[in-house]
This record gives sequence, C-alpha cells and structure tokens, in this order.
Amino acid sequence: MHIPDGFIDAKTATTTGALAAAGLGLALLRVRRCLPPRRVPLLGLTAAFLFTAQMLNFPVAGGTSGHLLGGVLAAVLLGPSGAVVVMSAVVILQCFMFADGGVTALGANLLNMALVAPGVGYVVYAVVRRSAGGGPRGQLLAVAFASWCSPVAAALACTGELAWSGTVAWAVGFPAMAGLHMLIGLGEALLTTLVIATILRVRPELLLEGAAADLPSNRRRLLAQGLLLALGLVVFLTPFACSWPDGLETVAAVLGFAHRAAGTPVAPSPFPDYAVPGIGSAVLSTIVAGCVGTVAAFVFAYLLARFLTPTGFARAKSA
Amino acid sequence: MDHQLLSLYQHRDSPIHRLPATVKLIGALVFVFVVVLLPLSAWRAYALGAAALLLIAAFARLPARVLARKLLWVEPFALGIALLALLQHNGIRVFAAMLARSTLCLLCMVLLSSTTRFTDLLQALGRARVPSLLVTTLALMHRYVFLLHDEMGRMRRARRSRTFTDGRLWVWRSGAGVIAHLFLRSLEHAERIYAAMCARGWKT
Amino acid sequence: MNTLEVRGLSYRYADGTAALQDVSFSLAEGERVGLLGPNGAGKSTLLLHLNGLLPERPAAEPAVRVFGTPVAAPHLETIRAQVGLLFQDPDDQLFCPTVWEDVAFGPQQWGLRGAALAARVSEALAQVGLAGFEERLPHHLSRGEKRRVCLAGLLACDARVLALDEPTSELDPRGRRELMALLARLPIAQIIATHDLEFVVESCPRALVLDHGQIVADGPTADLLNDEALMLAHGLERPHILRHRHPH
Repeated sequence: MHIPDGFIDAKTATTTGALAAAGLGLALLRVRRCLPPRRVPLLGLTAAFLFTAQMLNFPVAGGTSGHLLGGVLAAVLLGPSGAVVVMSAVVILQCFMFADGGVTALGANLLNMALVAPGVGYVVYAVVRRSAGGGPRGQLLAVAFASWCSPVAAALACTGELAWSGTVAWAVGFPAMAGLHMLIGLGEALLTTLVIATILRVRPELLLEGAAADLPSNRRRLLAQGLLLALGLVVFLTPFACSWPDGLETVAAVLGFAHRAAGTPVAPSPFPDYAVPGIGSAVLSTIVAGCVGTVAAFVFAYLLARFLTPTGFARAKSA
Repeated sequence: MDHQLLSLYQHRDSPIHRLPATVKLIGALVFVFVVVLLPLSAWRAYALGAAALLLIAAFARLPARVLARKLLWVEPFALGIALLALLQHNGIRVFAAMLARSTLCLLCMVLLSSTTRFTDLLQALGRARVPSLLVTTLALMHRYVFLLHDEMGRMRRARRSRTFTDGRLWVWRSGAGVIAHLFLRSLEHAERIYAAMCARGWKT
Repeated sequence: MNTLEVRGLSYRYADGTAALQDVSFSLAEGERVGLLGPNGAGKSTLLLHLNGLLPERPAAEPAVRVFGTPVAAPHLETIRAQVGLLFQDPDDQLFCPTVWEDVAFGPQQWGLRGAALAARVSEALAQVGLAGFEERLPHHLSRGEKRRVCLAGLLACDARVLALDEPTSELDPRGRRELMALLARLPIAQIIATHDLEFVVESCPRALVLDHGQIVADGPTADLLNDEALMLAHGLERPHILRHRHPH
C-alpha cells in the first residue's frame, strides 16, 4: 500500500502532508505528556519490532505470501498515540532507507498506514471491547475484528487519495482495493489474534492493565453493537462506488499481481465480481456485498476469539 | 547474518558519499518535487533527469545490478496503480508518463539511500528541528532493527529444528509465536536500555 | 575516606523475594575486587544499587556511599557520573546510532558541548584503544569492541569507580585478553561481577563471594579460591590456574 512518487498530485500531497503532520504532532504531544519516561525506549524498540515482524512471510495460497501490517497490534500494545508514533517511524524508515513509498507521498502514506490504520483499528477495538466486557475472549474478538477493519480503512483512504489526485477513478479503485483488503484483513486478523493470544498466555499482565473487568459480559448485546457499527460503516461508505466499470476483473488481476509481488496476501475472492448477482442496482449490490463481507469478517473474528482464547488463562491469572 | 536485505546503503568511497547528508537530502527532495510537478508530457525533461541520475550513480560507483534489483522490487506496485490509470480516457499517455515519473523519483531515492547512511540522515533531521521524540524513536529503531532481525532468525531456526511438519496452520501458529516472543524480547531490551540511559545521567 | 562504602544493604523484589540481605563491604581508592557467586546470587542487583538505579523507592537511610556522599536523590546526578556501570549485554548499553554519539551521550547529559565534548570523546576512545572508531556503527563492531566502546562511554563521564557486570562473558580469547589488559591499565577502583575465575585470580587481589543475597566471604582472592569447600558450597570451583600454582 506504499504509494510511490508521481501518483499523488500537489493538492493531495499538501493536504495529506498537513493532516499527517498534525496527527503525528498531536500524537507526539500526547505521548510526551502521558508516557512515563521509562517507556520512551519502548517506542523505538516496538518500531524496530514491527519493522522486523513485517519481514516474516506467511504462505497463503498458490505460492503467494503475506505479512503482518501491525496497526492494531501496536495500538493494543501501546495505546493509540504510541501506535501512531511507532507506525510513523516505520513508514519514515521505509521511505528513507529502502525507498519504499515516495517522499511526496510520505504524507499520504503516513496518513493511511500510521494514522488511519491504528486509529480506526483502535476505535473499533475499544468499542467492541467495551461491549464484550473485560474477559480475554472479548478482548480477542475485539482484536480480531479491529485488525480486519484496519487494513480495509487504510486501503479506502489510499483509494480516496488516488482518486482525488485524478490518478485512479474512485469507481475503479474502490471495489478493487476494498475487495482485496477485505481478504488481506482476514490474514491480518488471524495473525494479530494469534500474536495477542500468545502474549495473553505468557505475559497477561501486559494486556490486562486497566482491564474493564467490571463491565458485564453480555454476548448478545456485544454482537448487536459490533455488527451495527460495521454495517453503519459499510452503508456510509459504499454509495461512493456509484458505477460498475467493465474492466474491473482485469484491474483486480493486475492489482492482485502487483500485491503478490510486493508480498501482500491474495486469496481467491468469494465474490469474483464483487457484486451479488440478481440485484439490479450496482450501488445496492455493492452495499449488499460489503455488508455480507463485514458480517462474514465478524463471524470469522468471533470464531478466532472462541478457538484462540488461551485455556490456561484462569490459572495464569491467579498465579 | 546478511544485513544487505535490511539496508540499501552501499559502502563506497566516492565524492557523492562524502557530500554532507543535508545537501543530498535537500537535493533529492528538490529533484523529486520538480519531477512530480512537471507536466505529464515533458519527455525531454524526464530524459534529462534520468541522464543526471545515471551520471550520479556512476560517480558514486554504485553497481548497476543492485540499483536495477531495487527498482524491480518496488516497481510492481507503481505498475499496478499505473495500469488502473489505463482504464481512463487518454489512458496510455497517462500510464507511460506516470511510470516514467515514478521510476525517476524511485531511482533518485534509491541513490540517496545507497550513498547516505541513515544515521547521517537522522542527524540532518535533528538539525531540521524534527521533534526529538520522533528522532529518538527513529534512531533507536534503526539501531535495534538489525539485532531483532538476528534474534528473529535464531528463534525461527530453533523452532524449525524441532518440528517435522510444514503444514500451513503450523507455519502460521509458529510464526505468530515468533512475533509474540520477539515483542517480549523488545520489551526486555527497552527496559535494560532505559536503565543504561539513566546510568549515564539521562534527564527526562 | 573509602571510594565506595556499602553498609547493611537489603533489597526485596516486587514479588517479595529477598535479593540482598544485609550486604556490607567497602572499596578503597584504586582497588580491584572480584564479585563471585552462582547465577541468581544477586550480583547484578548489587551493582545496580551502586549508582542508584535501585531501589526504585529511595530508602530513608541510603546504604551506599560514594566518596562519602550518600546515593540518594539530590546527589544522583554526580553519583551516576562517578560510578560507571558496565551492563552485561553491550547491545543494551550501546543505544546510539554511532560510536561517537554513544560515547558523547553521558558528557552531553552533564552539559558538555562543542570542542570540549569532542576532546572528551576522542580521549575516552583513545583510552580504550579505539581511536578512529568515531563514525562506526555499533552493529558492525565485534563483541569485544562493543564492550570497549561501552567502557569508553563510562570513562567519558569521568567515572571514578567502575562496576562491571560479566565483562569477559562471550568474548573470544583475544577480546578477553585485550579487555583484561585494558582494565588493568585503568587506575580507578573496580568491582567486577564475573564467573571468569582465572580473570579474577589474575587481576583482582581481593574477592567477595555473594550467595543468596548475602556476602559469605571477603578476602584475598588466592585464599578464597583455594578453599575448595567454600567454592563448592557456593556453586563455584577452584580454577585450574591455582592448581598449577599450588600443586599438592
């Protein structure tokens, strides 16, 4: 998702640059105010950790592989402001040490990967977690669903910037990027949940600081709230995709190829055309497809939380 | 362990390498901004830019193979987006121009990072009044990336040496375990680094 | 006046286990003392007390004094300059991007700038035999070189006592020999926690044995290390070098 130089025009570059600088500045200010001094080196080390973790490749299907993105992982471990600082450090290092992502697009890349990804991820995490209560299973559900939402949101922001620059029309980019990243999100959810579950098993105290143990764990209410939130997002976002271009399949294939080469996961899409057949209006079918995808992701997140919650948790907690 | 993967920097003794980092950084930024702001069909300017960059690469005595490999590594994503542009009217022209532009900028940044150590860029950033917390984070990150990369390699080898399956599920579980433990290692490092900083009088 | 004075030092970890119990000893000007004991005896914890990194909450009556000054809040800045702590893992101590910046870190905290700082750094690097290493990156150094850069970082702070945690661990023979020679040349008091008994025999006239957080022996190195019963009781052994010196 690293946008190279030359794809973002001047107004978009300036706007995203200003937004990214403001967001990062705010995060730095908050971190400086709230973070205890002994935690300052942890920022640098977590940045190095995420950068290293992103280099670990996981096999997906048909010879493709993917890797962790880490927005939600950082937000859960360090809180939202710390995550913004750490993810920014990762993006800046990639830009200047590896020429990954353009300098003129640095603002846009920071906005997508260092602000939107951990920010949206954290909000979803906090909302689902609050509804789910303080237990480890609720936490894992929140982690899983948030780490599915995070890459999708970042991809949408990326598409928006490309569209505003006049590089790629929104109607072309939106379905391709959203569809692709709804799949990538599944891998990200699985990986982040596995990592958090391991940390929960080995060092639960790192994640339980300030656990909302007093909140009632009402499963039905939690499900309802999580789904409402997700569906609201989808309904709000999809009408932007107003027309359905013919060449989409070609584009998806090309994008798929590009991502494969860059090491991002690609799996066969359950909705090859992304539109559910039999529904006339393109807008409506996009909304339906988006909703079905979101519900499926939420069910996936719920299953992940159910099967990955460490069994020895009660023992570890009392020890 | 092979740190080539982790850094583009090529150690050479050349006039380009010896230039102050600030000069190179500003030069690269100016070049990229000019290229991006050029009109789409400024082919002559693109050719001129390419010639200048190749000249600098020759001066810096950088092996062409390494440069080409790096370009090929990042090109696919640019190609993907550019291909999306093909679908619009007047697509082919936009597509070609975009590809030329992004390749020029990419080559410029590859040259910068191949001839300038990241630590020197950091000092330049510090002088440019980038907030110190960000510079500290970047510096610590750059310092410990190599260490954590080595630790990750050791952990993966240790796990592989005790398993006799290559099932996909196992790979994911085991990889996630490596990532989780890598974080715990980073946490321990961070605590000891804090102690070492305090021991030498670090003031918060 | 003693360089370092420890009187009745006790410490408990947060979980309540006693790490140090009533530890007392002193170090004279320029004296070199080996601190021996099995893993988990409390050696590292003891060293962390010497410049006030522990205890987390200052005690009412500081148990450690450096040149007569109690290790407590108002004096911590001076104390941390005077007591140089060499950590076990040089990678944790070398946290700056370049060797120069790392050696300069301490003096910078005390307000040294410009030419004075540069002079201090080159002097410290020359002292450890690494002149010309200023622009090197820490991850390109050998382990022995990393240790010496850490040491230069302490010398640049004008340390007058060195507290060294396993300085010879994981060094190859040449690195170890060079570090031993370097420490022998430094005219400042040193307390060296180590499992390298031959190193203690060669460079420390006096040794302390710490076990379960208590000092169980304090005396001339040769006497302590030749006491087979004492050595075995505390997870140590008589070094070969002494067997050859005192054949039975």
